Amino acid sequence: MNEMGVTTNSAFLCLFTSASAFGSPIVQMAQQTVNTAIDSLSAALKSNIIPNQEYFLQGSILDSSVEVLLHRLRGLCDNVDTTLETFHDHEMCFSIRGPNNAQPALQLRVRRSLDHNGMPMQLRYIGQPEIGDKSRPTVLRNSIDIGTSNTVVEFLTELGCRKDFEYLAKGYMFRKGRMKITVFKVFKIDETRKMSGGAFESLTALTHSYLVELSVLAPSGQDAIADDMRCFAEQLRPLVQLEKIDYKRLVHGP
Amino acid sequence: MSAYSVNISVEAPVENQIQEITYDGQEIYTPPLTMSEHLTKLAQKIDFAKCGPEELNKEITEIDKNEDEAEQSTAPPLWPWDSVRNKLRNALTEVSVLADVLSIAKEKHYMVLDPVPQEPPELKPMVQVYARKKALAGAASVLLSGADRLKNLQAEALRNRTTPDFHIELLRLRQNFRLKKVSNSIVGDLSYRTAGSKFAQNGTFEVTKAEEDGDSPLSPPCSPNASLSNKPTSALRVTVPSELQGVAFIKVFFQKDQDSLTAAQLNLPSSSTANAIPDMYWQPKLEAAQNVLFCKELFNQLAKDAVQLQSPIPHIVVGNQIIASVLPGIQLVIGLCHSGVSTDGKTAVVPPSSNGHDHVLEHSLHQLLRELHHKNTHHPFPHPSSGPIGPSKRRRLAGPCAVDREELMQMTQSETMLEQVIKQAQHINLRDRTLFVLDRLAKDIKDPLITSHWNALNSPTQSCVKINIVAHMYDTICRTSLLIHVNETTLKCITRDGRVIHMSYESQELRDFIMCQVYLHQMTAVQNLAKCMGWQCLANSAQLGVGAVEPFGNASSCVLASPTGERLISVRCEPKSGVHVTIAQSPRKDFFPGQLVKERKWENLGGSFKEVRWDKMEGKNFLNKMELLMASLTSS
Repeated sequence: MNEMGVTTNSAFLCLFTSASAFGSPIVQMAQQTVNTAIDSLSAALKSNIIPNQEYFLQGSILDSSVEVLLHRLRGLCDNVDTTLETFHDHEMCFSIRGPNNAQPALQLRVRRSLDHNGMPMQLRYIGQPEIGDKSRPTVLRNSIDIGTSNTVVEFLTELGCRKDFEYLAKGYMFRKGRMKITVFKVFKIDETRKMSGGAFESLTALTHSYLVELSVLAPSGQDAIADDMRCFAEQLRPLVQLEKIDYKRLVHGP
Repeated sequence: MSAYSVNISVEAPVENQIQEITYDGQEIYTPPLTMSEHLTKLAQKIDFAKCGPEELNKEITEIDKNEDEAEQSTAPPLWPWDSVRNKLRNALTEVSVLADVLSIAKEKHYMVLDPVPQEPPELKPMVQVYARKKALAGAASVLLSGADRLKNLQAEALRNRTTPDFHIELLRLRQNFRLKKVSNSIVGDLSYRTAGSKFAQNGTFEVTKAEEDGDSPLSPPCSPNASLSNKPTSALRVTVPSELQGVAFIKVFFQKDQDSLTAAQLNLPSSSTANAIPDMYWQPKLEAAQNVLFCKELFNQLAKDAVQLQSPIPHIVVGNQIIASVLPGIQLVIGLCHSGVSTDGKTAVVPPSSNGHDHVLEHSLHQLLRELHHKNTHHPFPHPSSGPIGPSKRRRLAGPCAVDREELMQMTQSETMLEQVIKQAQHINLRDRTLFVLDRLAKDIKDPLITSHWNALNSPTQSCVKINIVAHMYDTICRTSLLIHVNETTLKCITRDGRVIHMSYESQELRDFIMCQVYLHQMTAVQNLAKCMGWQCLANSAQLGVGAVEPFGNASSCVLASPTGERLISVRCEPKSGVHVTIAQSPRKDFFPGQLVKERKWENLGGSFKEVRWDKMEGKNFLNKMELLMASLTSS
């Protein structure tokens, strides 16, 4: 796996989190080792091993048919012998505008796991999706994500980001080779009934359907994986149509 | 390129017929038809009589005659459109008649269509009966023939139960192995790729229909009472690649230090059974091939590890054996035995300890490879779900927790399979040695009884044993317990008073230590016994500094006084030479007033200690003897 990539990720991150949360001695220490960290980072960037592109396909399925889809995915994906992997995540989306109200705002997403409390939170930047033409089977977008400590929300607020929206995602996760398939339901958080400790008491589902996503994180230039993704999407065909969804057209809809 | 182009002119060929060629070569063409003439010519070709589907059948048969008729129209038409006009007029007549009939039928004003009553046809009952009988007989015959055919098929299937259908067999094969159809042939995969193996060797096999003719002399054809042949024949035949044929297994055994490292090939003693049955049932054949592949992968991985690892005594990979040193003087030999492979000249040195191979370690090796496969496929899922698949949980936490470079490097290092096997082998060796030492000691030392209880649950690299030292019949008086953890190359002993002692793999150290513990036990037991008997312990010392220096351990001693104070017993325990007991009496028996010491009172100072002849003493064991001694001294 990407050992070099993760090493550099952590080194990269040390520079960031230490800048905000801790005092000056650690910043000085970081500055002492700054040559090697930046060197290794630039080497990693040059050798194209950092997975910063995401190949993406989405679809949806009604609640009544989701059981069938789950059975099918269990048969198609790896590791049939293990139990179904569930997840329960809370995602918050922050945005920060440049000076003079420059458009567009930079959007950052913070995601934390509600059922695995010990795991670090994820800070994610997602770029504009490239729909491409018919020859490109999947949506391609820039995606950089790093693990962070629990102080990331304060950090972003201090930087000047504002929380745009948040939601809960609860569902199942599958994996086939490098592909990750998630089937989840989006819930709206009722802010007034938020319990202490960050738990959410009442959740209202936004729709009567589940969102199905198929994604692969890869370094740029590995377009062959997109064809594999399309073949896999074909196998789910009559149940759920995984396809490229253009958000801009949804926004400017009728 | 334009220099090479040639102008080409295209003209249509001459279409007009040549009417006449004059004497001077000039050709006179018939003038081309004008438009109206062309149209009349085409119109004449249309035959309005031939327009319905009922005419088509006649058309096919009379297609030749049609052309003749067209040519034989005798008189040239008066007017080109004459025939067309006639045909149209006929058509008009017909259509008007049809319109009239329809209007009559619909309007019912002036005329009405009335059905004419017709006579019913004459019924001939007998003819009807005969007709029905014939029809039923025809239907019955069809059904009967179908039933006969089915009965024959079923009887045949019952008789030929030993040769099942190719497709049923294929279905069963597909339930166990992955099959794929490639152009004309069926190809299967018996490798462990889907289970996580990354071995490069191919594991494809081919499935074909078995031949129909009975070339095997085992089963005589077509006799329903024939005895069933021992080897079941099958409708499909499986072709396994040549390098995976035969039977293979991994053999692991220990060997003491040998000077010669011969290039011996481990061989199965009788390898003739492998190629005996060509039409063997496919399941065991495929399983054997899969096992061969697994063993090859295992050996390959171990050989790679052996070459890459750096150990004080380097590991040797020779032919199909890997020799690794476990402890000084003891080596672990891992060999791959493959029976179907044709061996070359220098073969067949079967090692002497061929019967004593270690099944546990072989099973461990299989398990280790399966664990490797499992790790390759079962990566933990990311939580939250937007994270990348791949890094382990520790790696994910490494960033936010700011682990340093050294910890990260440590995370990347993992133990190879060979290292793990060597550790297990070392542990097995050490455990056997410890077992031997303890059993020997228990057999040799009769006086306090030494019992060892080994833990039922232990790991491949650690076991625990609890040792109790008690005297027979005096187990409530005193019991000494020790706990020994047996690791790979060291022993850790924990005594009841909290001391932790680390020992190496030399068995003499353990022996010495236990002997010391035995004598300490004796001393403690004597003191406890004295308390029970009412005797008082005046002094005791666990590590006595007087007397000769012991080769291992220290002497210990104690002095006991009787309840009345008249008798004294002194016990000295030496690990090398055993126990010495001496007694003294307080008013001296042998007091004689001399020149210097005149008064009688000095006899109360107590006499000298006299040694007891311990081997003549009555009693089953040391404590028993002590008890009897104390009892006798108390009473007298």
